[in-house]
Amino acid sequence: MVPLLGGIFLGWSLGANDASNVFGVAVSSRMVKFWTAALLGAGFVLLGALLEGGAGIETLKNLTPMDLNQAVVCSVGAAATVSVMTLLALPVSTSQAVVGAIVGIGLLNGKIDLGGLGKVVLCWLGTPLGGLIFALLVYRLLGTLYNRLPLNLFQVDRLLRIGLILAGSYGAYTLGANNVANVTAVFVGAGMLDVTSAALIGGLSIGLGIVTFSRGVMETVGKKLVRVDAFSALVVVLAEAITVHVYTFLGVPVSTSQAVIGAVLGVGMVKGIQSVSGKTLGEVLAAWFFTPAVSALMAVAIDFVVHLEYVPGK
Amino acid sequence: MFGFLFRKQRMVEELIGKYLDNLRMTQEYFTEALNICLEGSCKGDFDFMTEQTHKHESRADDIRDEIKDLMYSKALLPESRGDIMGLLEAMDLIPGIFERLLFMIGTEKIEIPEFIVTDVKELIEYSLASFDLMIKQVEALFKRGGEIRSMVSVIDRNESHCDHIERRIIAAIFSSPTLDPFRKILLKELIVTMGDISDQADRVSKRVNIISMKRIV
Repeated sequence: MVPLLGGIFLGWSLGANDASNVFGVAVSSRMVKFWTAALLGAGFVLLGALLEGGAGIETLKNLTPMDLNQAVVCSVGAAATVSVMTLLALPVSTSQAVVGAIVGIGLLNGKIDLGGLGKVVLCWLGTPLGGLIFALLVYRLLGTLYNRLPLNLFQVDRLLRIGLILAGSYGAYTLGANNVANVTAVFVGAGMLDVTSAALIGGLSIGLGIVTFSRGVMETVGKKLVRVDAFSALVVVLAEAITVHVYTFLGVPVSTSQAVIGAVLGVGMVKGIQSVSGKTLGEVLAAWFFTPAVSALMAVAIDFVVHLEYVPGK
Repeated sequence: MFGFLFRKQRMVEELIGKYLDNLRMTQEYFTEALNICLEGSCKGDFDFMTEQTHKHESRADDIRDEIKDLMYSKALLPESRGDIMGLLEAMDLIPGIFERLLFMIGTEKIEIPEFIVTDVKELIEYSLASFDLMIKQVEALFKRGGEIRSMVSVIDRNESHCDHIERRIIAAIFSSPTLDPFRKILLKELIVTMGDISDQADRVSKRVNIISMKRIV
Protein backbone atom coordinates (compact mmCIF):
# COMPACT_ATOMS: atom_id res chain seq x y z
CA MET A 1 0.00 0.00 0.00
CA VAL A 2 2.81 2.46 0.89
CA PRO A 3 4.25 2.56 -2.66
CA LEU A 4 0.77 3.53 -3.87
CA LEU A 5 0.63 6.65 -1.72
CA GLY A 6 2.30 8.83 -4.40
CA GLY A 7 -0.34 7.77 -6.92
CA ILE A 8 -3.17 8.28 -4.46
CA PHE A 9 -1.84 11.76 -3.66
CA LEU A 10 -1.70 12.52 -7.38
CA GLY A 11 -5.27 11.27 -7.83
CA TRP A 12 -6.45 13.31 -4.86
CA SER A 13 -4.92 16.54 -6.24
CA LEU A 14 -6.27 15.76 -9.71
CA GLY A 15 -9.78 15.39 -8.30
CA ALA A 16 -9.46 18.55 -6.21
CA ASN A 17 -8.33 20.59 -9.23
CA ASP A 18 -10.11 19.17 -12.26
CA ALA A 19 -13.61 18.84 -10.77
CA SER A 20 -13.88 22.59 -11.33
CA ASN A 21 -13.75 21.98 -15.08
CA VAL A 22 -16.98 20.00 -14.96
CA PHE A 23 -18.99 21.43 -12.07
CA GLY A 24 -17.29 24.80 -11.46
CA VAL A 25 -19.89 26.90 -13.29
CA ALA A 26 -22.87 25.22 -11.67
CA VAL A 27 -21.42 25.47 -8.15
CA SER A 28 -19.89 28.94 -8.29
CA SER A 29 -23.10 30.46 -9.62
CA ARG A 30 -25.07 28.62 -6.91
CA MET A 31 -27.16 26.70 -9.41
CA VAL A 32 -26.14 23.42 -7.80
CA LYS A 33 -25.14 22.88 -4.19
CA PHE A 34 -21.51 21.92 -3.66
CA TRP A 35 -22.39 18.61 -2.03
CA THR A 36 -24.72 17.59 -4.85
CA ALA A 37 -21.95 18.36 -7.35
CA ALA A 38 -19.24 16.71 -5.27
CA LEU A 39 -21.18 13.49 -4.74
CA LEU A 40 -22.29 13.28 -8.38
CA GLY A 41 -18.72 14.12 -9.45
CA ALA A 42 -17.11 11.50 -7.24
CA GLY A 43 -19.65 8.83 -8.23
CA PHE A 44 -19.32 9.42 -11.96
CA VAL A 45 -15.52 9.68 -11.80
CA LEU A 46 -15.42 6.24 -10.21
CA LEU A 47 -17.89 4.85 -12.76
CA GLY A 48 -15.86 6.27 -15.67
CA ALA A 49 -12.63 4.91 -14.24
CA LEU A 50 -14.08 1.42 -13.80
CA LEU A 51 -15.93 1.21 -17.11
CA GLU A 52 -13.53 2.92 -19.50
CA GLY A 53 -10.32 3.64 -17.65
CA GLY A 54 -8.49 0.57 -18.95
CA ALA A 55 -7.47 1.93 -22.38
CA GLY A 56 -5.50 4.87 -20.98
CA ILE A 57 -3.84 2.65 -18.40
CA GLU A 58 -2.71 0.26 -21.19
CA THR A 59 -1.20 3.18 -23.18
CA LEU A 60 0.76 4.68 -20.30
CA LYS A 61 2.01 1.38 -18.88
CA ASN A 62 3.46 0.51 -22.28
CA LEU A 63 5.44 3.75 -22.70
CA THR A 64 8.42 2.27 -20.88
CA PRO A 65 9.01 -0.84 -18.79
CA MET A 66 9.69 -0.04 -15.14
CA ASP A 67 10.03 -1.71 -11.77
CA LEU A 68 8.03 -0.80 -8.67
CA ASN A 69 10.67 1.67 -7.39
CA GLN A 70 10.62 3.52 -10.68
CA ALA A 71 6.81 3.55 -10.65
CA VAL A 72 6.91 5.21 -7.24
CA VAL A 73 9.54 7.69 -8.49
CA CYS A 74 7.29 8.48 -11.46
CA SER A 75 4.19 9.14 -9.41
CA VAL A 76 6.06 11.16 -6.78
CA GLY A 77 7.86 13.13 -9.52
CA ALA A 78 4.58 13.94 -11.26
CA ALA A 79 2.84 14.81 -7.99
CA ALA A 80 5.74 17.06 -6.97
CA THR A 81 5.66 18.80 -10.37
CA VAL A 82 1.92 19.38 -10.13
CA SER A 83 2.29 20.70 -6.58
CA VAL A 84 5.24 23.01 -7.36
CA MET A 85 3.65 24.42 -10.51
CA THR A 86 0.34 24.92 -8.71
CA LEU A 87 2.17 26.75 -5.92
CA LEU A 88 3.79 28.96 -8.58
CA ALA A 89 0.28 29.55 -10.01
CA LEU A 90 1.32 28.07 -13.34
CA PRO A 91 -1.22 26.09 -15.33
CA VAL A 92 -0.52 22.42 -15.13
CA SER A 93 -1.78 19.26 -16.76
CA THR A 94 -1.57 16.12 -14.62
CA SER A 95 -1.52 13.98 -17.78
CA GLN A 96 1.49 15.85 -19.09
CA ALA A 97 3.24 15.67 -15.73
CA VAL A 98 2.78 11.89 -15.55
CA VAL A 99 3.90 11.29 -19.13
CA GLY A 100 6.87 13.62 -18.56
CA ALA A 101 7.90 11.58 -15.51
CA ILE A 102 7.50 8.31 -17.42
CA VAL A 103 9.64 9.68 -20.26
CA GLY A 104 12.26 10.79 -17.72
CA ILE A 105 12.46 7.26 -16.33
CA GLY A 106 12.32 5.87 -19.89
CA LEU A 107 15.37 7.96 -20.80
CA LEU A 108 17.24 6.51 -17.83
CA ASN A 109 16.22 3.01 -18.90
CA GLY A 110 17.05 3.79 -22.51
CA LYS A 111 13.69 2.37 -23.57
CA ILE A 112 10.80 4.51 -24.77
CA ASP A 113 7.93 3.46 -26.99
CA LEU A 114 8.30 6.35 -29.44
CA GLY A 115 5.18 5.37 -31.39
CA GLY A 116 3.06 5.50 -28.25
CA LEU A 117 4.72 8.72 -27.10
CA GLY A 118 4.12 10.34 -30.50
CA LYS A 119 0.42 9.43 -30.30
CA VAL A 120 0.19 10.93 -26.81
CA VAL A 121 1.91 14.20 -27.80
CA LEU A 122 -0.26 14.55 -30.90
CA CYS A 123 -3.34 14.13 -28.76
CA TRP A 124 -2.12 16.85 -26.41
CA LEU A 125 -1.84 19.23 -29.34
CA GLY A 126 -5.29 18.19 -30.45
CA THR A 127 -6.99 18.66 -27.08
CA PRO A 128 -7.76 22.42 -27.23
CA LEU A 129 -8.50 22.05 -30.94
CA GLY A 130 -10.94 19.22 -30.17
CA GLY A 131 -12.58 21.37 -27.48
CA LEU A 132 -12.92 24.22 -29.98
CA ILE A 133 -14.39 22.06 -32.77
CA PHE A 134 -16.85 20.27 -30.49
CA ALA A 135 -17.91 23.59 -28.94
CA LEU A 136 -18.71 24.93 -32.43
CA LEU A 137 -20.69 21.80 -33.33
CA VAL A 138 -22.51 21.48 -30.01
CA TYR A 139 -23.38 25.19 -29.98
CA ARG A 140 -24.89 25.04 -33.47
CA LEU A 141 -26.76 21.79 -32.87
CA LEU A 142 -28.10 22.48 -29.38
CA GLY A 143 -28.69 26.14 -30.22
CA THR A 144 -30.95 25.23 -33.15
CA LEU A 145 -32.98 22.82 -31.01
CA TYR A 146 -33.14 25.20 -28.06
CA ASN A 147 -34.35 28.15 -30.16
CA ARG A 148 -37.21 26.06 -31.51
CA LEU A 149 -38.60 25.18 -28.10
CA PRO A 150 -41.51 27.41 -27.01
CA LEU A 151 -40.31 27.77 -23.42
CA ASN A 152 -41.06 30.38 -20.80
CA LEU A 153 -38.34 31.87 -18.60
CA PHE A 154 -38.77 29.33 -15.81
CA GLN A 155 -38.71 26.39 -18.20
CA VAL A 156 -35.54 27.75 -19.82
CA ASP A 157 -34.00 28.06 -16.39
CA ARG A 158 -34.95 24.48 -15.45
CA LEU A 159 -33.73 23.09 -18.75
CA LEU A 160 -30.33 24.78 -18.42
CA ARG A 161 -29.86 23.75 -14.81
CA ILE A 162 -30.73 20.12 -15.54
CA GLY A 163 -28.48 20.33 -18.61
CA LEU A 164 -25.58 21.60 -16.50
CA ILE A 165 -26.03 18.79 -13.98
CA LEU A 166 -26.21 16.13 -16.69
CA ALA A 167 -23.27 17.62 -18.62
CA GLY A 168 -21.29 17.92 -15.37
CA SER A 169 -21.98 14.26 -14.55
CA TYR A 170 -20.94 13.23 -18.04
CA GLY A 171 -17.83 15.41 -17.68
CA ALA A 172 -17.00 13.71 -14.37
CA TYR A 173 -17.49 10.31 -16.02
CA THR A 174 -15.04 11.19 -18.82
CA LEU A 175 -12.61 12.73 -16.30
CA GLY A 176 -12.50 9.41 -14.46
CA ALA A 177 -12.35 7.35 -17.64
CA ASN A 178 -9.57 9.42 -19.16
CA ASN A 179 -7.46 10.59 -16.26
CA VAL A 180 -7.43 7.53 -14.02
CA ALA A 181 -4.47 6.27 -16.05
CA ASN A 182 -2.41 9.20 -14.77
CA VAL A 183 -2.88 8.02 -11.22
CA THR A 184 -2.19 4.31 -11.29
CA ALA A 185 -0.94 3.26 -14.76
CA VAL A 186 2.68 3.20 -13.62
CA PHE A 187 1.80 0.65 -10.93
CA VAL A 188 0.15 -1.56 -13.53
CA GLY A 189 3.32 -1.23 -15.64
CA ALA A 190 5.39 -2.26 -12.62
CA GLY A 191 3.17 -5.32 -12.12
CA MET A 192 1.86 -4.20 -8.73
CA LEU A 193 -1.79 -3.79 -9.78
CA ASP A 194 -4.08 -5.25 -12.42
CA VAL A 195 -6.06 -2.87 -14.61
CA THR A 196 -9.32 -3.22 -12.63
CA SER A 197 -7.74 -2.59 -9.23
CA ALA A 198 -5.80 0.33 -10.72
CA ALA A 199 -9.04 1.82 -12.06
CA LEU A 200 -10.76 1.30 -8.70
CA ILE A 201 -7.95 2.80 -6.59
CA GLY A 202 -7.40 5.64 -9.07
CA GLY A 203 -11.13 6.40 -9.32
CA LEU A 204 -11.52 6.39 -5.53
CA SER A 205 -8.57 8.72 -5.01
CA ILE A 206 -9.83 11.20 -7.62
CA GLY A 207 -13.29 11.00 -6.03
CA LEU A 208 -11.76 11.61 -2.62
CA GLY A 209 -10.04 14.74 -3.98
CA ILE A 210 -13.38 16.03 -5.29
CA VAL A 211 -15.26 15.41 -2.06
CA THR A 212 -12.58 16.70 0.31
CA PHE A 213 -10.83 19.56 -1.42
CA SER A 214 -12.49 20.77 -4.63
CA ARG A 215 -14.84 23.35 -3.12
CA GLY A 216 -12.44 26.31 -3.20
CA VAL A 217 -11.20 25.59 -6.71
CA MET A 218 -14.75 25.08 -8.00
CA GLU A 219 -15.88 28.36 -6.54
CA THR A 220 -12.95 30.39 -7.88
CA VAL A 221 -12.24 28.69 -11.22
CA GLY A 222 -15.96 28.44 -12.03
CA LYS A 223 -16.29 32.20 -11.82
CA LYS A 224 -14.00 32.56 -14.81
CA LEU A 225 -16.54 30.62 -16.84
CA VAL A 226 -19.71 32.03 -15.37
CA ARG A 227 -19.07 35.26 -17.26
CA VAL A 228 -20.43 33.37 -20.23
CA ASP A 229 -24.19 32.83 -20.19
CA ALA A 230 -25.66 29.58 -18.86
CA PHE A 231 -26.24 28.11 -22.33
CA SER A 232 -22.62 28.77 -23.33
CA ALA A 233 -21.44 27.27 -20.04
CA LEU A 234 -23.44 24.13 -20.84
CA VAL A 235 -21.86 23.98 -24.31
CA VAL A 236 -18.37 24.41 -22.83
CA VAL A 237 -18.83 21.56 -20.33
CA LEU A 238 -20.37 19.27 -22.96
CA ALA A 239 -17.69 20.03 -25.57
CA GLU A 240 -14.97 19.43 -23.01
CA ALA A 241 -16.55 16.12 -21.95
CA ILE A 242 -16.97 14.92 -25.55
CA THR A 243 -13.37 15.88 -26.39
CA VAL A 244 -11.99 14.04 -23.38
CA HIS A 245 -14.24 11.06 -24.14
CA VAL A 246 -12.88 10.84 -27.70
CA TYR A 247 -9.34 10.71 -26.34
CA THR A 248 -10.50 8.07 -23.87
CA PHE A 249 -11.48 5.87 -26.85
CA LEU A 250 -8.01 6.49 -28.28
CA GLY A 251 -6.54 5.50 -24.91
CA VAL A 252 -4.70 8.77 -24.33
CA PRO A 253 -4.98 10.75 -21.08
CA VAL A 254 -5.36 14.47 -21.86
CA SER A 255 -5.86 17.67 -19.91
CA THR A 256 -9.47 18.61 -19.14
CA SER A 257 -8.32 22.20 -18.51
CA GLN A 258 -6.92 22.47 -22.04
CA ALA A 259 -10.13 21.00 -23.47
CA VAL A 260 -12.10 23.66 -21.55
CA ILE A 261 -9.88 26.46 -22.89
CA GLY A 262 -10.47 25.20 -26.45
CA ALA A 263 -14.22 24.99 -25.84
CA VAL A 264 -14.35 28.54 -24.43
CA LEU A 265 -12.52 29.80 -27.53
CA GLY A 266 -15.02 27.88 -29.70
CA VAL A 267 -18.00 29.50 -27.98
CA GLY A 268 -16.25 32.86 -28.31
CA MET A 269 -15.95 32.30 -32.05
CA VAL A 270 -19.67 31.47 -32.43
CA LYS A 271 -20.68 34.51 -30.44
CA GLY A 272 -18.48 36.74 -32.53
CA ILE A 273 -15.75 37.57 -30.05
CA GLN A 274 -12.87 38.74 -32.21
CA SER A 275 -10.01 38.88 -29.75
CA VAL A 276 -8.48 35.76 -28.29
CA SER A 277 -6.58 36.27 -25.08
CA GLY A 278 -2.87 36.06 -25.82
CA LYS A 279 -2.24 35.39 -22.15
CA THR A 280 -4.51 32.33 -22.16
CA LEU A 281 -2.89 30.94 -25.29
CA GLY A 282 0.53 31.61 -23.80
CA GLU A 283 -0.46 29.66 -20.69
CA VAL A 284 -1.60 26.68 -22.78
CA LEU A 285 1.66 26.67 -24.73
CA ALA A 286 3.70 27.02 -21.54
CA ALA A 287 1.87 24.03 -20.04
CA TRP A 288 2.57 21.95 -23.17
CA PHE A 289 6.31 22.59 -23.01
CA PHE A 290 7.15 23.11 -19.36
CA THR A 291 5.01 20.56 -17.51
CA PRO A 292 6.40 17.40 -19.21
CA ALA A 293 9.92 18.80 -19.22
CA VAL A 294 9.90 19.79 -15.55
CA SER A 295 8.27 16.49 -14.59
CA ALA A 296 10.86 14.46 -16.55
CA LEU A 297 13.66 16.35 -14.81
CA MET A 298 11.97 15.90 -11.45
CA ALA A 299 11.61 12.12 -11.95
CA VAL A 300 15.25 11.82 -13.05
CA ALA A 301 16.37 13.90 -10.06
CA ILE A 302 14.34 11.80 -7.60
CA ASP A 303 15.62 8.58 -9.18
CA PHE A 304 19.18 9.93 -8.83
CA VAL A 305 18.61 10.76 -5.14
CA VAL A 306 17.05 7.33 -4.51
CA HIS A 307 20.14 5.62 -5.91
CA LEU A 308 22.67 7.70 -4.01
CA GLU A 309 24.73 5.52 -1.73
CA TYR A 310 26.58 6.56 1.37
CA VAL A 311 29.94 4.75 1.52
CA PRO A 312 31.44 5.19 4.98
CA GLY A 313 35.13 5.06 5.95
CA LYS A 314 36.76 6.82 3.02
CA MET B 1 -36.60 13.37 -11.18
CA PHE B 2 -35.08 16.81 -10.66
CA GLY B 3 -38.10 18.21 -8.77
CA PHE B 4 -36.10 18.68 -5.57
CA LEU B 5 -33.89 21.21 -7.33
CA PHE B 6 -36.75 23.51 -8.23
CA ARG B 7 -38.78 23.94 -5.03
CA LYS B 8 -37.68 27.56 -4.60
CA GLN B 9 -38.19 28.25 -8.27
CA ARG B 10 -41.82 27.10 -7.99
CA MET B 11 -42.29 29.41 -5.02
CA VAL B 12 -40.93 32.32 -7.10
CA GLU B 13 -43.32 31.37 -9.90
CA GLU B 14 -46.29 31.39 -7.52
CA LEU B 15 -45.27 34.72 -6.02
CA ILE B 16 -44.93 36.32 -9.45
CA GLY B 17 -48.47 35.11 -10.24
CA LYS B 18 -49.65 36.66 -6.97
CA TYR B 19 -47.78 39.88 -7.79
CA LEU B 20 -49.49 40.17 -11.17
CA ASP B 21 -52.95 39.49 -9.63
CA ASN B 22 -52.21 42.19 -7.11
CA LEU B 23 -51.29 44.63 -9.88
CA ARG B 24 -54.64 43.94 -11.51
CA MET B 25 -56.44 44.66 -8.24
CA THR B 26 -54.49 47.93 -7.84
CA GLN B 27 -55.56 48.90 -11.35
CA GLU B 28 -59.23 48.06 -10.63
CA TYR B 29 -59.40 50.24 -7.52
CA PHE B 30 -57.51 53.04 -9.25
CA THR B 31 -59.90 52.97 -12.21
CA GLU B 32 -62.96 53.04 -9.97
CA ALA B 33 -61.57 55.92 -7.91
CA LEU B 34 -60.72 57.92 -11.02
CA ASN B 35 -64.10 57.23 -12.61
CA ILE B 36 -65.82 58.65 -9.52
CA CYS B 37 -63.91 61.90 -10.09
CA LEU B 38 -64.55 61.95 -13.81
CA GLU B 39 -68.27 61.41 -13.25
CA GLY B 40 -68.64 64.41 -10.98
CA SER B 41 -67.03 65.05 -7.63
CA CYS B 42 -64.30 63.15 -5.87
CA LYS B 43 -66.42 62.20 -2.91
CA GLY B 44 -68.26 59.16 -1.58
CA ASP B 45 -66.31 55.99 -2.37
CA PHE B 46 -63.27 57.89 -3.67
CA ASP B 47 -61.43 57.79 -0.36
CA PHE B 48 -62.18 54.09 0.12
CA MET B 49 -60.96 53.26 -3.41
CA THR B 50 -57.83 55.38 -2.87
CA GLU B 51 -57.13 53.52 0.33
CA GLN B 52 -57.58 50.16 -1.42
CA THR B 53 -55.24 51.29 -4.20
CA HIS B 54 -52.64 52.21 -1.59
CA LYS B 55 -53.13 48.90 0.23
CA HIS B 56 -52.58 46.87 -2.93
CA GLU B 57 -49.61 49.01 -3.95
CA SER B 58 -47.98 48.25 -0.58
CA ARG B 59 -48.84 44.57 -0.92
CA ALA B 60 -47.08 44.58 -4.32
CA ASP B 61 -43.96 45.95 -2.61
CA ASP B 62 -44.12 43.19 0.01
CA ILE B 63 -44.49 40.45 -2.61
CA ARG B 64 -41.60 41.94 -4.60
CA ASP B 65 -39.37 41.85 -1.50
CA GLU B 66 -40.40 38.25 -0.84
CA ILE B 67 -39.44 37.31 -4.41
CA LYS B 68 -36.13 39.15 -4.03
CA ASP B 69 -35.27 37.26 -0.81
CA LEU B 70 -36.14 33.92 -2.38
CA MET B 71 -34.13 34.54 -5.51
CA TYR B 72 -31.05 35.61 -3.64
CA SER B 73 -31.25 32.45 -1.58
CA LYS B 74 -30.08 30.60 -4.68
CA ALA B 75 -33.24 30.08 -6.70
CA LEU B 76 -32.86 30.40 -10.49
CA LEU B 77 -29.86 31.09 -12.71
CA PRO B 78 -27.99 34.29 -11.81
CA GLU B 79 -28.90 35.99 -15.09
CA SER B 80 -32.59 35.12 -14.59
CA ARG B 81 -32.48 36.57 -11.07
CA GLY B 82 -31.16 39.89 -12.37
CA ASP B 83 -33.71 40.01 -15.20
CA ILE B 84 -36.66 39.24 -12.92
CA MET B 85 -35.63 41.79 -10.30
CA GLY B 86 -35.14 44.53 -12.91
CA LEU B 87 -38.51 43.72 -14.41
CA LEU B 88 -40.35 43.75 -11.09
CA GLU B 89 -38.78 47.06 -10.14
CA ALA B 90 -39.79 48.58 -13.49
CA MET B 91 -43.36 47.24 -13.18
CA ASP B 92 -43.61 48.41 -9.61
CA LEU B 93 -43.39 52.05 -10.72
CA ILE B 94 -46.86 51.85 -12.28
CA PRO B 95 -48.94 51.18 -9.13
CA GLY B 96 -46.84 53.98 -7.64
CA ILE B 97 -48.12 56.29 -10.41
CA PHE B 98 -51.72 55.17 -9.74
CA GLU B 99 -51.33 56.02 -6.10
CA ARG B 100 -49.64 59.35 -6.82
CA LEU B 101 -52.44 60.38 -9.20
CA LEU B 102 -55.14 59.66 -6.64
CA PHE B 103 -53.10 61.41 -3.96
CA MET B 104 -52.75 64.50 -6.16
CA ILE B 105 -56.47 64.58 -6.89
CA GLY B 106 -57.36 64.02 -3.23
CA THR B 107 -54.96 66.41 -1.52
CA GLU B 108 -54.77 69.17 -4.13
CA LYS B 109 -58.58 69.02 -4.59
CA ILE B 110 -58.19 68.90 -8.34
CA GLU B 111 -61.42 68.93 -10.29
CA ILE B 112 -61.24 67.92 -13.92
CA PRO B 113 -62.94 70.54 -16.09
CA GLU B 114 -65.77 69.36 -18.33
CA PHE B 115 -64.04 70.33 -21.61
CA ILE B 116 -61.19 67.83 -21.09
CA VAL B 117 -63.11 64.93 -19.51
CA THR B 118 -63.53 63.02 -22.79
CA ASP B 119 -59.86 63.38 -23.64
CA VAL B 120 -58.79 62.35 -20.13
CA LYS B 121 -61.04 59.26 -20.37
CA GLU B 122 -59.41 58.40 -23.70
CA LEU B 123 -55.92 58.91 -22.22
CA ILE B 124 -56.74 56.65 -19.27
CA GLU B 125 -58.40 54.07 -21.53
CA TYR B 126 -55.32 53.75 -23.76
CA SER B 127 -52.93 53.86 -20.79
CA LEU B 128 -54.78 51.07 -19.01
CA ALA B 129 -55.04 49.05 -22.21
CA SER B 130 -51.23 49.26 -22.42
CA PHE B 131 -50.99 48.25 -18.78
CA ASP B 132 -53.26 45.21 -19.37
CA LEU B 133 -51.23 44.17 -22.38
CA MET B 134 -48.02 44.63 -20.42
CA ILE B 135 -49.30 42.23 -17.75
CA LYS B 136 -50.26 39.70 -20.44
CA GLN B 137 -46.80 40.08 -21.95
CA VAL B 138 -45.17 39.44 -18.57
CA GLU B 139 -47.39 36.38 -18.14
CA ALA B 140 -46.27 35.16 -21.56
CA LEU B 141 -42.66 35.51 -20.44
CA PHE B 142 -43.24 33.61 -17.20
CA LYS B 143 -46.04 31.22 -18.03
CA ARG B 144 -46.49 30.50 -21.70
CA GLY B 145 -43.57 31.64 -23.82
CA GLY B 146 -43.99 33.20 -27.29
CA GLU B 147 -46.52 35.98 -28.23
CA ILE B 148 -44.29 38.65 -26.76
CA ARG B 149 -43.15 40.53 -29.84
CA SER B 150 -46.63 41.19 -31.25
CA MET B 151 -47.66 42.87 -27.99
CA VAL B 152 -44.60 45.16 -27.97
CA SER B 153 -45.72 46.95 -31.11
CA VAL B 154 -49.31 47.45 -29.83
CA ILE B 155 -48.05 48.91 -26.55
CA ASP B 156 -45.64 51.11 -28.47
CA ARG B 157 -48.49 52.40 -30.66
CA ASN B 158 -50.65 53.06 -27.60
CA GLU B 159 -47.81 54.99 -25.99
CA SER B 160 -47.46 57.26 -29.03
CA HIS B 161 -51.21 57.79 -29.07
CA CYS B 162 -51.19 58.67 -25.36
CA ASP B 163 -48.40 61.21 -25.95
CA HIS B 164 -50.55 62.78 -28.64
CA ILE B 165 -53.63 62.95 -26.35
CA GLU B 166 -51.50 64.30 -23.49
CA ARG B 167 -50.20 67.17 -25.65
CA ARG B 168 -53.73 67.87 -26.88
CA ILE B 169 -55.11 68.08 -23.34
CA ILE B 170 -52.26 70.32 -22.13
CA ALA B 171 -52.79 72.64 -25.11
CA ALA B 172 -56.52 72.79 -24.32
CA ILE B 173 -55.84 73.55 -20.65
CA PHE B 174 -53.52 76.44 -21.45
CA SER B 175 -55.86 77.80 -24.12
CA SER B 176 -58.75 78.00 -21.67
CA PRO B 177 -59.75 81.59 -20.92
CA THR B 178 -61.65 80.62 -17.75
CA LEU B 179 -59.12 78.54 -15.77
CA ASP B 180 -56.79 80.43 -13.47
CA PRO B 181 -53.04 79.90 -14.08
CA PHE B 182 -52.45 78.10 -10.78
CA ARG B 183 -55.13 75.50 -11.63
CA LYS B 184 -53.68 75.16 -15.12
CA ILE B 185 -50.29 74.16 -13.64
CA LEU B 186 -51.91 71.64 -11.31
CA LEU B 187 -53.91 70.10 -14.14
CA LYS B 188 -50.85 69.95 -16.38
CA GLU B 189 -48.95 68.09 -13.67
CA LEU B 190 -51.85 65.65 -13.31
CA ILE B 191 -52.05 64.98 -17.05
CA VAL B 192 -48.28 64.49 -17.36
CA THR B 193 -48.44 61.97 -14.50
CA MET B 194 -51.29 60.17 -16.27
CA GLY B 195 -49.11 60.03 -19.37
CA ASP B 196 -46.40 58.32 -17.31
CA ILE B 197 -48.57 55.17 -17.10
CA SER B 198 -48.26 54.37 -20.81
CA ASP B 199 -44.62 55.53 -20.90
CA GLN B 200 -43.72 53.12 -18.12
CA ALA B 201 -45.82 50.28 -19.58
CA ASP B 202 -43.87 50.78 -22.82
CA ARG B 203 -40.54 50.66 -20.97
CA VAL B 204 -41.53 47.44 -19.20
CA SER B 205 -42.76 45.95 -22.48
CA LYS B 206 -39.43 46.67 -24.16
CA ARG B 207 -37.58 45.19 -21.23
CA VAL B 208 -39.70 42.00 -21.44
CA ASN B 209 -38.87 41.78 -25.12
CA ILE B 210 -35.14 42.11 -24.42
CA ILE B 211 -35.30 39.46 -21.69
CA SER B 212 -37.04 37.13 -24.12
CA MET B 213 -34.59 37.91 -26.96
CA LYS B 214 -31.61 37.34 -24.65
CA ARG B 215 -32.68 33.72 -24.31
CA ILE B 216 -32.33 33.10 -28.01
CA VAL B 217 -28.85 31.73 -28.73
